[in-house]
Amino acid sequence: MLSRLLLDPFALPFMRRALIEVLLLGALAGGVGVFVVLRRLAFLADALTHAVFPGVVIGYLVSGQSGIVPGALVFAVLAAVLFTVAAARARVGQDAALAILLTSFFGLGVVLVSRQRSYTADLTTFLFGRVLTVDSAQITQTAVVAVAVGLVLYALRKELLLRTFDQQTAQAMGYRVVLLDLVLNLMIALVVVAAVKAVGTILSIALLVVPAAAARLLSDRLLVVTGLAVLFGMLGGWLGLAASYEASINHGVRLASGATVVLALVVFYLLALGVGPLVRRRWRRGARLPEDVADVDELPAGRLAPGARTGGGVR
Amino acid sequence: MKQQVVDSQVSADADASADVGVGTVPVNADDSPSPAVVFDRASVAYGRVPVLEDVDGVVRAGHMVALIGPNGGGKSTLIKAILGLVPVVRGRIQVLGRTPARARQDVAYVPQADVLDPDFPVSVSQVVLMGRYRQIGWVRRPRRSDRLIAAEALAAVGLAHRGGDRFGTLSGGQRQRVLLARAMTQQPRLLLLDEPFNGVDTLSQQALLSAIDGLRAAGTTVVISTHDLSLAHLACDDVCLVNRHQFGFGPTAATLTPERLRAAYGSAALELRGEGVIVAHP
Repeated sequence: MLSRLLLDPFALPFMRRALIEVLLLGALAGGVGVFVVLRRLAFLADALTHAVFPGVVIGYLVSGQSGIVPGALVFAVLAAVLFTVAAARARVGQDAALAILLTSFFGLGVVLVSRQRSYTADLTTFLFGRVLTVDSAQITQTAVVAVAVGLVLYALRKELLLRTFDQQTAQAMGYRVVLLDLVLNLMIALVVVAAVKAVGTILSIALLVVPAAAARLLSDRLLVVTGLAVLFGMLGGWLGLAASYEASINHGVRLASGATVVLALVVFYLLALGVGPLVRRRWRRGARLPEDVADVDELPAGRLAPGARTGGGVR
Repeated sequence: MKQQVVDSQVSADADASADVGVGTVPVNADDSPSPAVVFDRASVAYGRVPVLEDVDGVVRAGHMVALIGPNGGGKSTLIKAILGLVPVVRGRIQVLGRTPARARQDVAYVPQADVLDPDFPVSVSQVVLMGRYRQIGWVRRPRRSDRLIAAEALAAVGLAHRGGDRFGTLSGGQRQRVLLARAMTQQPRLLLLDEPFNGVDTLSQQALLSAIDGLRAAGTTVVISTHDLSLAHLACDDVCLVNRHQFGFGPTAATLTPERLRAAYGSAALELRGEGVIVAHP
């Protein structure tokens, strides 16, 4: 029964290709997503997904399906650079700057696509993707992106961790925080580009944020969080595809596969929301030895202001 | 006693690892060494708005200097200027004989613990190890020697047993100690601390001070921004009194006069937010 639901659909070549694609995307987006969630960059990631949209449209207008990824790539890199600069300057405030860029890029994309005869059909494809029409060339692209992004994240894991945790000290230690930010924003942009054909620009934000957010609820250890995020991303892709296939083929309910993947991820998140507090409390209790609880300096912080003891310092 | 043992281990390790690029230069106080920081009528600014003007004075190598002044008076900005993170728009700041940006490898910075996200999934020992990242270099994993240095620094602030805990589960004072331990692993010649005693309990304050003493014994210069005047009297050789500009820079007792404090703090000179931090007895 379970294997009929979870394995049989993927005997079909197009379903198998779709599965490989979502597994790759899930792992990739889950890994990058950890930094998105920890840096609270969900809005920036969302802005990137919208900024990629006109690139998708222009690419499509110039050379059809094969133009989508190059077009998306150009706009993604452009947007990542712009966003990094906007955030570093922060004259208007980062969120306002992002909102302006997001809407202007997205507006440009809609204007361009509205000139097409098949306006709504095209718009839907670009926004929500078509995972079932993924071909092997695209799987290769996604795999290359996944490997490249994985290598960069691994190489910079210490520096990205430090910057994410403590920006000021990273700067004080001589790290170029703007460059680290640019690298991370480019990684996010690449995930969006890789995901654009399969799940579209809108839904790729879910791949980036939801698995990592769910994983964060379950652990306080970064390595575990990253592992779980990758796992959830992949599982969500698999279960989502299987569910949409089952509903569409055997129950006559057409479920958009990309959106079903997103819903599967959200189910993981809701489960993690329920289970998380239990799991984390148990780990914390298990991790601490009894004598540590009675630490010598477990005084409530802030009750004793330094000056209270030492007032009247000047004579 | 234990403190001393730990400290000598840290410096012994530093000497041992000097051949892998750890820069610890012993400072000989008898030899009237070159100053750690020179302020030459320096003004610092965010954008076009000057925050602090005309700072002029010298932080001698091996000394501990308190930056005193009201909130918003430019203490944190001055620390950032020493790090080269805020531009000097007039005058000059020289750190360890170099420009601030070039001196960073020998300078360690301790931020206020409460600016950091307490929910961040990072353990105490991971935080301390961050101080070694520059020495470890890109891509590479921490070596055993790095972990040893981190463990010793954590022991020096009295938190050896908390290494496995999540950073955010510690009290504010303990977090501050962890951040000092991280700075210690950088084996700096100049240590900058931004308000390390704000909202810190007495025991953590003692632990911080004794760890700082250990560093000073090894020749590290310390610049510390604080509200605590008696700390300045007790622990610091010199003070720099600032509020938008400099109200005094020199030996603590001679500089922290009631007149200067009143000038710097204005109406707050007698009472600062009811904490009794600034109580001037004329």
